[in-house]
Parts: sequence; C-alpha cells; structure tokens
Amino acid sequence: MPKDKLKIGIYELTGCAGDALLIVDCEEELVNIFTAANIEVFLMAKSDNRHGELDVALVEGSVSTEKEKEELLDIRKRARVVVAIGGCACVGGPQAAFLDKKEWEKNLKKVYGNIEFSHSQPLQSKPIDAYIKVDYYLPGCPIGKAQFLSTFTRMVNGNPPELFRFPVCVECKWHENDCLLNKDILCLGPLTLAGCGSVCPNFNVPCFGCWGPTEEANRTSEYHLLREKGFDTEVIKNRMANYSGTRITEFFEQFRKEKR
Amino acid sequence: MKTISIDHLPRVEGNGGVFATIDGHVITEVKLVINEGPRLIERLTVGKTPEEDVSIAPRICAICTVSHKNAAIRAMENALGIKVQPKITLLRELAHMGEFIESHSLHVYYLALPDYVGFPNAIAMASKFPFEVKIALEMKQFGNAIMKILNGRMIHGENMVIGGFGLFPTREDLVWIKNRAIQFMPFVFRTVELFCGLDYPTVPESDTLYACCEPGNGQYGLWGEEIILSTGQKFARDDYKSLTNEFLVPHSFCKRSRYKGNPYSVGALARVNVLGERLQGESAKMYKKYFSPRWKKNPLFHNAAQALEILYSFEKVPELVDEILALPENPPVVPYKTKNGKGTGLVEAPRGLLIHHYEVKDGLVSDVDIITPTAQNAEDIERYCYVAAQKLLDEGKEDAIRDRMDLVVRAFDPCVSCSVHMAEVKHASSDDWKKKLADLQTAGPVFIGIGKEGRSDDRAGLDLAEKMREAGLENVYLESDIEEDHILEGLTGRPLIFLDVVNMGEPAGKIALLPLQHVFWNAVLSHRLLPAVSNRLTLDQIKNAYILGIQPESIEEGSRLSDGVREAVEKILEEITN
Repeated sequence: MPKDKLKIGIYELTGCAGDALLIVDCEEELVNIFTAANIEVFLMAKSDNRHGELDVALVEGSVSTEKEKEELLDIRKRARVVVAIGGCACVGGPQAAFLDKKEWEKNLKKVYGNIEFSHSQPLQSKPIDAYIKVDYYLPGCPIGKAQFLSTFTRMVNGNPPELFRFPVCVECKWHENDCLLNKDILCLGPLTLAGCGSVCPNFNVPCFGCWGPTEEANRTSEYHLLREKGFDTEVIKNRMANYSGTRITEFFEQFRKEKR
Repeated sequence: MKTISIDHLPRVEGNGGVFATIDGHVITEVKLVINEGPRLIERLTVGKTPEEDVSIAPRICAICTVSHKNAAIRAMENALGIKVQPKITLLRELAHMGEFIESHSLHVYYLALPDYVGFPNAIAMASKFPFEVKIALEMKQFGNAIMKILNGRMIHGENMVIGGFGLFPTREDLVWIKNRAIQFMPFVFRTVELFCGLDYPTVPESDTLYACCEPGNGQYGLWGEEIILSTGQKFARDDYKSLTNEFLVPHSFCKRSRYKGNPYSVGALARVNVLGERLQGESAKMYKKYFSPRWKKNPLFHNAAQALEILYSFEKVPELVDEILALPENPPVVPYKTKNGKGTGLVEAPRGLLIHHYEVKDGLVSDVDIITPTAQNAEDIERYCYVAAQKLLDEGKEDAIRDRMDLVVRAFDPCVSCSVHMAEVKHASSDDWKKKLADLQTAGPVFIGIGKEGRSDDRAGLDLAEKMREAGLENVYLESDIEEDHILEGLTGRPLIFLDVVNMGEPAGKIALLPLQHVFWNAVLSHRLLPAVSNRLTLDQIKNAYILGIQPESIEEGSRLSDGVREAVEKILEEITN
C-alpha cells in the first residue's frame, strides 16, 4: 500500500444514480473501498464531503444543465484523473438519443411547456467528454461490479485500468448460450461492449445494447443481417440508438448518405 | 436576507437542495430544488416498441428499477390485453419484495440512522454499531440477491418481460431465498424495535392526505388496480390524473402534484397509515404495538413505517416462495398480436405510488405518462420543511432549522434521480419585499385590501388600498368588493396580492411579502377573512397569491394607525407607484 492514500471523489450528474448505487452495492467490499482510499466526495453515501483537490474523480451521468456543465469543468480543474462511469457519462445515455438539437428542443417543450426555469438552464444531454478531457471510460448500465473493483484496485495501486474492448458475443460464447440471432431475435450483442457477462442472453432475453457501442463493431453488417431477417429499418435504427448516445452519429450519417 | 441552504443534500439518491428564506420572524420562502437535469424519458420511448419501452423506462431510477419495470409491464399488458398466469405475478411480486428489502434497509440503516445517532455516515457509525451495520448490509445484499435471481441483475435487470419471464429461477434458488429470509427474522424484529422506538422529534407535525395503491381483497400489498386515499376515496387506475393533477414550478425539473389544491404524501408512511389495519401475522402485532396517532401527521415516522414494511416483506417472501413452488409448470412468454391500446400500471415503489401510462398505436408507443413518487411528494416535502422551519424559528431555535429540514427531506426517502441534495437557510434583507414586489408587478398583479375599521392598525390594508386608488392605480379592490364572484373569476394568470396586517412578532411597521400558501400552512399567521376567500380561489390562483403584510402595533379598538404602520403604508405606496 502506498503511504499516501489516493483522494477520490464520486460525482453524480443527470442519470439514474445506478453507478453510484452499484458502488454502494459492493456490500462486502465497501469498507475496504473507504479504507483503501480517501473518499473525499460521495454524496449518496456520506454528508461530510470535501470538494478540494482530487487524485481521481469518478463522474456518473450526462451533462444536462448549465449548472452541471460548470460543476464538471470545476471537477476537471481539481482532479488529476477523470473517469467517466456508466453509459450516461461515457456516451450520453438514453437521454442523449435525441441527436438533433431541434428535435430535443421540441421534446423539451412537449414535457415542460414554455416554463422559464429559474434554478438552472436545461442543456441537450451530452456525455462528459463533450466538455472536458476524459482519461478513462468505465462503461455499463449500470457499471459492472467486477470491472469497477478491478479498475478501482488498479488505480489505488497506481496502475491504469484494463477494460474489455470486445463485444457481448464473446462473453455470450463463454456462457455457451445459443445465438439469439440464429433464432431470428433482434439481439445487439455483436455491437455492444462486453463486461455485463452477457446477462440478458443468459436469461433468454436479447441484448438491448445498454453498455453502449464497441468501437470496432461492424454496424453495417449487423444492419443488413437484421434487414434480411425482416426487421423494419426504423426499428433497427431505434434499437441501435437507444443506448448509444452520441457515439454512433457517424454511422447514422453514413447510413443516411447510402440510403440516398 | 438570510437563506438556510443544503445545497447538495447528502445521503439521498440523486441531486437536489432545500432553500429557506428568513425575513425577521417569518419564513418567506421554502424551495425544494431539483438539480437533476431533464432527461425527457417520457419522450424517448415514443415511437419505440413496447419491449424497448420496458427496457428504457426503468432507467429513470436505479433504486426503483424493479418498481419501474413492474409498473411499465403492468401498463403495457393492460394496453395490449395480455393476461399472465398466477405464477408470473407471484414471481414479479417476489422481485418487488427484493427491491423493498434492499431499498428500505439501505435507507433506514445507511441514510437515516446516522442522523439519529450522530454520525456523518454509516461507515463512521460502524465504530459504535458494528453489528447493525454488518447485518443491515447483509440484509440489503439479500434484497439485491432476490432481484438478481429473478430479474437478471441487481440494477436494471431485463429478465422480467412483457408476458412473462426470460428464464425462471431454479427450485434451489427459490428454496435458498425462502431459507435465507427466515434466517433474518431475529434481526428484522430488532430493526422494527429500533426504528419504531426511536424518539422522533415533534417538529414538524401537521395533518396531510395520504395516497397509495388499493391492493384489493382487504389485503396489504404493493400494487393494485385502484388508488386509495386516507379519506377512503378511491380512483380507478385509468383515472389517476384526478389525483395527481401535475404542474410545473420554475425552480425544479421535477413535476409536482396536488389533490384539490393540497399537497399529499405517498410512501411507506402513507401505506401504513392507509392500509396498516390490514397487516397480518407478526407485522400486525408490531403495528398494534407501535402505531400511534402521531404517525398520521409526522413525516419523520416514515422511517418507522419502512421498518414495519421490512418485516412485512420478510414475512411475505417465504409465503410467496411456497406458492410459487406449488406451481411447477413454467408458462412461456405470452405472445400478443394487439397493435393498439391504452393502459395504466399502478405499483408501490419503496418511496410511494408509481404510475406508468402508455398508449400504443400500430405496434409503437405513441404516448407516455410516468408519475414518480418523489414528484408527488415534492409539494408536501416543501410544506413540512416550511412548517418545521417556522416552528423552530418561533421557538428561537434558528440554528436547528437546517438540520431539521435535512431530516424531513431524508425521511421522505426522495429519489432525486426520479426527479431530487439538500438544506440552506438565508436571511432576507430588510428590502427583500421590494425586490419581490417589483418582480410581481411585471406580471400585472391585482391588489386586495383587507382589514377592519375601528380597530386601530387593523385598517392599514384598507387605507393602503384606498390610497393606491387615489394615486390612480387600477386593479385595486377592497375586501368588500370581492364578495362579488366575478372579480375573482376574471383574475386568471395574474398574481393576487392581499394587503393586510400580519402578526410576525416583529417591531411595528415591519413589511414582508409572504406566499399565501405559507399562511395556510401555519396557524400563527392565519387571518379571519382568508378561509372565506381561499375557498373561492383556484389552485393556480393560490399558488400565485401573496400577502403583503405589515406588523401592527395594536389591533385593539381605536381609530388611528400607529406611527410605524403609517410609515410602512407610505413606504409601500411609494414602492408601488414608482
């Protein structure tokens, strides 16, 4: 153990608080987490929070208000390393599915009407790297316990995290599951980052893509495969967009060009 | 002007704050601000398939993920005319118990208890209460394990689907759940004794209306086809809007609800207050032992009610497992062909009534309405914070306001991500009323002078109104004018400002601008005329009504105003006519 413990802050922006909750859900390891590092900030778990210099800031949630943007910029100034935790911080989350600003504005109006907000101005939801440099991305909806604990342990010991870069299909094969695509079920396993342990296919439920897209996925090929199986273009596009946030904008643009 | 604020309310799930403003001896404003940004979940699922909705909608909240899942599935099944077999319903109920065990034990032991025993967090509390901290953690872990077994993951599992289950739990898993639940019973009793026996402060105490699901068949339960109020009144599930009446406030992205103009409460305390008599077994014994009329008016008993529900859940789990094991056949997912329909799903999330409503057209979701418990509680949280702050201020315990508001908000177990960190107290400057009045004047307010001739300072409101009229101001009325209904009817959308003397316990002539609803919530400031007026005001008018109050020196018989009050009248007149 290094002599000086790392100072760690856990912050929550807009999201479901599931990633912070998952850390609280590390029941057996929780006391060790609090003793292996100095947890300076963790609003969900403690009331004596100190917003000072940090070695590592773990940030959950998407930036969805002006106030959050300011808070995030301040966190970046105070933290040596910033880790995005969870789908909302990494890619924007489901709330970033309105890629078009006008469409977002239209829908904001539908929910909130013409009310003028006095406490903070709403912003179109974006992942945190839209505003600051992010050092590491810990994906998941919510993040996985194993991957979080391994990342935490490595960082506390001064090592960079090692994350899965392959798709859910790899984990699904490890679990000896029958391929759901072979059963003509709309499964997003080939496009989605692994780490969840292929939990949904293990339960006979198709992958909804909630851990966000893998960089190297062949989206065009999956699209054509699903078309061949008779799925509607819009249904496929929606399914791909639900949890991908701003990460597959390029694919959709390319897609639009090809369609023309 | 002074504000007591809890900018980031710690130990609640999500991001919010409470702000109270003190102007001398009165609280002029309490705001529950929710910083959580808008996610537009209700719009995100429009145009998607029902299956996608059932995956995305629970992402609203990690803590209540199973409640959201069950609410979404129930609504969709109602919309699409799907009937599932009893085994499916029992398994869903078992998963729901898992969430209650997890959420309630996390809240009572880790979020609430540190306040009562004087520690900043549960980890620090472990030094003095190692046993409680350890076993509570195991209890929470057990709740998570149930959810993981039934729904695939602790948070955001996907195994519960429209029409059934992806994969059924094994007999071994179910038997393990049953046995583990029984093993916890001694600690569960200890939990009930601890939290039902805590010495809850008497501030705030104030009556309110409670609402929860009507489980039917005279049972206690966590979902139903109707909503029931503490008055006994019931609403059919599709008629939920008659209760919730959602509206927006500028200081929050969380929508608010009121019933007949009044705030209401949902959650564990609402369920125990409304359905407590229906509890059975050990839960009934404990209910009889600890329940008192104070539970009906003090939100801090929420923690006691949660402890009682932990017992209810632990008693229910083995029963459910037995019923499930008696049904060996695993029904396949019910297929459906319906492409159009409308449906509502009502469930009790740990923190209260949760409503999902969907409309499906041509196989895609066309309309979504989701009403979360915290959204419904927001108004009552603000009201109780106000009542607590004013009462403590009256008792000269200003220093206690911040922590007490914090305690109140936390008792409601707000799920800020659904909607809500917490409290700050600030002092108003002596000119605070001027700024607020200037803001209101931009909205074209209507002034109503209130008072009584022949009672010295009590006529100040009338005098002020008359002087305003003389100065050529329009939309100024006297108390006697508004007996004609048409005047109030024509005021939609414009602020109402009552001019009156108000006893604030200040030196004569002190001026304050108070929201009318604060006056309703606090008997200290009540005025004889107001009930008559308020009965004729609509909710929108009440929310947009204020009292511009002057501290009187005397309201004994007499014909002239005291000097301080006369100066105040001139000050206000100057401000308004400028």
